[in-house]
Amino acid sequence: MELILQSIINGLIQGGLYALFAVGLVMIFGVMGVVNFAHGELVMAGAYTIWYLHAQQGLGYLPTVVVAVVLVTLIGLLMERFLFRPTRNDPLAGLICSIGMLFILQVIATLIGGEGPSKQVPPVFQGTLVVFDFLRIPNQRIFALVISVAALVTLWYFLARTKLGWALRAVALDREASALQGININRISMIAIGVGAGMAGLAGALMAPLTNINPHMGHNVIITAFIVTIVGGVGSLSGAVLAAILYALFHTFMTVYFGGTIATISGLLLMVLVLIIKPTGIMGVRISE
Amino acid sequence: MPILEVKNVTKQFGGLTALDNISFHVDEGEIRGLIGPNGAGKSTMFKNIAGFYKPTSGDIHYQGQSISGRKPHQIAEMGIVRTFQETTLFQEMTVFENALVGCHTRARTDLFSAILGLDKQKQRQAADKVMEVLEFMGLSERRDQLASELPLGSQRALAISIALVSEPKLMLMDEPFAGMNPEETNHMMELTRKVRESGITIVLVEHDMKAVMGLCNYLTVLNFGQLLAQGTPEEVRSNDKVIEAYLGGAN
Amino acid sequence: MNMLIRSIVGLIILIVLLIVPHFLEFHHQDLLIFLTINVLVVASYRLVTLTGEWSLIHAVMMGVGGYTATLLFLNYELGMWFTLPTAGLLSAAVAALLCFPLLRMTQFYFLIGSFAAGEAIRLVWIQFLDPFGGTGGLSGVSPPMIGDIDFMDPIPYYYLALTVVSICLFLLYRIEKSRVGLTLHSVHWKAPLAESVGVDTWRYRALAFITGSFFVGIAGALKVHYIGTITPNQYGIGFMVFILIWVIVGGYNKFYGPIIGVIVLTMFDESIRGFDEIRPAIYGAVLILSILFLPLGLESIPGKLKAWFIGSEVVEPPLTDE
Ligand SMILES: Nc1ncnc2c1ncn2[C@@H]1O[C@H](COP(=O)(O)OP(=O)(O)OP(=O)(O)O)[C@@H](O)[C@H]1O
Ligand SMILES: [Mg+2]
Repeated sequence: MELILQSIINGLIQGGLYALFAVGLVMIFGVMGVVNFAHGELVMAGAYTIWYLHAQQGLGYLPTVVVAVVLVTLIGLLMERFLFRPTRNDPLAGLICSIGMLFILQVIATLIGGEGPSKQVPPVFQGTLVVFDFLRIPNQRIFALVISVAALVTLWYFLARTKLGWALRAVALDREASALQGININRISMIAIGVGAGMAGLAGALMAPLTNINPHMGHNVIITAFIVTIVGGVGSLSGAVLAAILYALFHTFMTVYFGGTIATISGLLLMVLVLIIKPTGIMGVRISE
Repeated sequence: MPILEVKNVTKQFGGLTALDNISFHVDEGEIRGLIGPNGAGKSTMFKNIAGFYKPTSGDIHYQGQSISGRKPHQIAEMGIVRTFQETTLFQEMTVFENALVGCHTRARTDLFSAILGLDKQKQRQAADKVMEVLEFMGLSERRDQLASELPLGSQRALAISIALVSEPKLMLMDEPFAGMNPEETNHMMELTRKVRESGITIVLVEHDMKAVMGLCNYLTVLNFGQLLAQGTPEEVRSNDKVIEAYLGGAN
Repeated sequence: MNMLIRSIVGLIILIVLLIVPHFLEFHHQDLLIFLTINVLVVASYRLVTLTGEWSLIHAVMMGVGGYTATLLFLNYELGMWFTLPTAGLLSAAVAALLCFPLLRMTQFYFLIGSFAAGEAIRLVWIQFLDPFGGTGGLSGVSPPMIGDIDFMDPIPYYYLALTVVSICLFLLYRIEKSRVGLTLHSVHWKAPLAESVGVDTWRYRALAFITGSFFVGIAGALKVHYIGTITPNQYGIGFMVFILIWVIVGGYNKFYGPIIGVIVLTMFDESIRGFDEIRPAIYGAVLILSILFLPLGLESIPGKLKAWFIGSEVVEPPLTDE
């Protein structure tokens, strides 16, 4: 019982982080039609920023989180301008460019941090919240949860309540029609990837004190993001959030009882299953082919 | 003896009823016109017959056999081939290669004979068939040109050639005259008649009334997914409902 | 005349291929063998892509062949004459099973689905120590001895690999140039049109996927018999990306494009050997630049030059259909 409750709590916190980066992937795919294979590397870049500026150079954690978000947003904007815009009519070309970018970001990380063992960032928020005597939640994780929920709520508000958010959703639904309506596609793409990359950077910054940091950490991130995106329904943001939480719970439990590898295998199989049975995902309507 | 029977076919897309309980039949050797204003459901009818869509309800019989629910390639194998409203060709292939794809079912080949070269004779027959059809459609001069380089009229002729090479019994032609000048139209009408004379039944969807009236012996009119009228060209031309539908559509 | 030129060119290539290992130092002989095997990898990948689907599972399929050969060799002491074809057949069989889920998807979904299926297979190798040996993989595979010839030496093994790969390439070429190849192309360019004249697109996509996996399975067996060890990470997404890079930089519209790609990039790779740390980034940059500035690959350069001199226009179709 205690183990189950503890796993639920851990899963929920994990789910918030998953949602942060999966939502970005979904937005970039929805608006620009490209699968950003370098999305995991954007998360990695966020984590590296924390490790380098905060853990190495001694900059405060909160300012560094802001720097990480800004930096990764910038990387995303550059990718849009120089990789995805020129290849806009050709989704495969965009995907391949993002693979090229993935290598470049990994090498930059290696150059900054060197090879060798994974890096650790010591927790900033010491202490642990104990509930009912047996549930132990480190404050660092509580912080990650609060921030990711806040970011997701802000994103929701932006998409649902602002004019720009409306334009963004319109482009995701039908790019040609939106262009005819006078929506500036370049601008919307910039916003989509800016927000998507920024959230990936934030996820990386929040994960930094909770995980091992190395140049290849993006691999697991992208696998998770794919699973979440497909299960949630390609192009459905709320689906992605829901799937992120469900998948995080699923993965946490599977890891507790069967180990990490089996957990990931079952996650992948789950995803293939969803692709077969309902390619539009649990919440999805197909918005772009 | 009807070659094609459409029985109470309904096709819905979400809330939209694109075809509403349509029934008609086509006799062997006809050139049947299937006409109606834009959005009437003509192409949808073709897609249902050719297996690209499955009717929401109703049944389609071909040579007395039910075919609804079968896959497009199975239906093609039985002898129904469809040409597309937008000119659809393999743009990156030559005229000859385009038509050769049409041989698929008639001169089947498999991986092993392809590797080992066991089916030389069959390949030669296929090539002969293709050349015969290209000759027939007046394309033999252009056999090595890329499809993308052809003028519109020849592209349409090639689309029909691909269909003809597969030796169909029933051909569904979706607006083969669209965008043609009068000269090209006359030429295409000539070709369509020749196809019919070679023993192939044709169902023709077309907005060019001159071509329809000139070619078809019998017309079926759709409007907003409903069967509006049927009859000879003269009857249809003087049918009030048809006139109204077309005038309404013109607004 | 044309025929004559062709035979002469062919003869020259043959002679070069036969004598080249004797002019190389040991390390380069090694590399030559990997290059030979990788030629088969890209050529078989091209067969898969002929129907227009870009899979991300080809590297894993090579691993399936490699593990098959390894297990047969280690457990039953079966020689290469048996492990090579069996590796191909088993890869093909796994591909055939995967067709049922994967070929229900197209384009983006197929890409992600094939990636997921490949990762799942790789994680199975990692998870099940018995028989796959986990992350550390398996070792102890060796090439055959025939009489006095020890195929452990690079030069004999090179000739062996060259023979196998040449036969496979010949078969792949025959398939592509046959009507089966034409049908595969037709499925790529306009699947509905192909269907309307009776092509079962599912079957042909399956055919390409299974046949491509067969040949890459053989490549996997060839590789493991030379290097002697196999690990799950040799066939991860990293290697898959290399396959993509070779194919795309070489140009995937012609049979020989990917082959040119793998040869040129392997030589390029050697020339940047001093920069080990940043090598992946250089590759990444090459990939991006070639997509942006040479989308049809190296293979298209002669045509472009010709067009530049003579002045005819080169049509550049996009990577994928709209
Ligand atoms: N795949 C689809 N999903 C939703 N609606 C569709 C689909 N295909 C057709 N429709 C709708 O069904 C109706 C009939 O379309 P259809 O293409 O059959 O018309 P048509 O008679 O061929 O018109 P046209 O003369 O313009 O070619 C239209 O309202 C169209 O919007
Ligand atoms: Mg139509």
